[in-house]
Amino acid sequence: MLKMRFGWTILLLILGLLGGAWIFISQESTPQFGVADNLTEAPIAGYFAPDFTSSTTQGEELTLSDYRGQPTVLNFWTSWCPPCRIEAPYFQAASLKFNGQAAIIGVDQGEPLSAVADFGALMGLSYPLVLDEDSSINRKYGVVALPTTVFIDADGVIREVYTGIINQAVLEDRVDRLLKEG
Amino acid sequence: MQPTISLGPLVLPTSGIIYIFGAWLALSVVERAAKRLDLNAEATYSLAAVSIAAGFIGARAIFVVLQWPAYRNNLLGIIWPLNSGFELWAGLLFAILAGIFYGRAKQLPAAATLDALAPGFSSLFIVISLADFFGGPGYGVETGMPWAIDVFGIRRHPVQIYEIIIGIAALASWFAFLKRRSFDGQLFLISLAIYSGGRLFVDAYRANAWLTPSGFHILQLISISILLISVFLLGRGLIDREDAVKSEV
Repeated sequence: MLKMRFGWTILLLILGLLGGAWIFISQESTPQFGVADNLTEAPIAGYFAPDFTSSTTQGEELTLSDYRGQPTVLNFWTSWCPPCRIEAPYFQAASLKFNGQAAIIGVDQGEPLSAVADFGALMGLSYPLVLDEDSSINRKYGVVALPTTVFIDADGVIREVYTGIINQAVLEDRVDRLLKEG
Repeated sequence: MQPTISLGPLVLPTSGIIYIFGAWLALSVVERAAKRLDLNAEATYSLAAVSIAAGFIGARAIFVVLQWPAYRNNLLGIIWPLNSGFELWAGLLFAILAGIFYGRAKQLPAAATLDALAPGFSSLFIVISLADFFGGPGYGVETGMPWAIDVFGIRRHPVQIYEIIIGIAALASWFAFLKRRSFDGQLFLISLAIYSGGRLFVDAYRANAWLTPSGFHILQLISISILLISVFLLGRGLIDREDAVKSEV
């Protein structure tokens, strides 16, 4: 009986050690925010949204700070990300619903113009899709999981960072709230 | 990836259809398992049905409560669309609580009932992974392995397929140990140990895993806890059984 207890104890110890080691090996690096040079800008709620200028799929230059004065939603995505495809229609619907009152901007992660433009055409997206081939904007916002959605108020202050698929009702509610506050 | 199925003008979400099939499959499997274990099949089936329904309603209800401002002026939005907007932890909690209450009310033997529910859990997990594979949000890390799948132009670990294999292994273990069951709850604990051990391993290959602030996979931490508890209980059950046999002799 003692031998049996000893055997089970050893099994538990081995499983614990192997499992713990595997969890340690699987640990992922946490994001390093690249905005330390400006204390008022950070990809965190309560701070100014890090500014950027980049081109869109339409070939126009887009600067985030130009959108000050109206609530802005940044949606970080890629064409290969399944959950981004699921939520893309929600952003399209919101862009039509809040047209002229709030801005919806899609920010790609590390893909060329052709991939971003093809995705936009496939999903029928009419809101601006910003290119970020070197992922510098994504790094500024510390994006580690896709999709990530950043809600920015009319003053350019981040109010919420939402990671994962956003629900359509929640998306529209957040924009509504920002509009009411503004 | 096949997120939707088109039937003429009707476009249906693939994952939704698979979830409905999964619920039916799990209930059928539980009913058959209860019969094989000489339990009250009707009551065990009802317990599983109540748990599934409570889990679904609870997951949605808690999401709506937490996001109430989004639904306050959109009450129809609470019941449709249902392709997103669920709190997984709340669903699990409601399902477990409903199962416990129903089981107690019907005076079902807890450990033996868990044995009957085990293949239902495995079937349900297999189907959930299948739905995730066709139209869900999960995807694996990039790999050059020959069995990699193409996810919108990038070759990735088919994590959902790995999860399905683990579910099948857990299901197979139930049948493998059915004739050798030496105490009530053993089949459930074996299935649980295999499934949690497998998820502990494969979650490392999931690209969009839930992480702790220090970067550890949350599912791996939960899995190792469940694995160690189930192996401990298995060992204790077998030792107690040996003790009982020896004292009888």
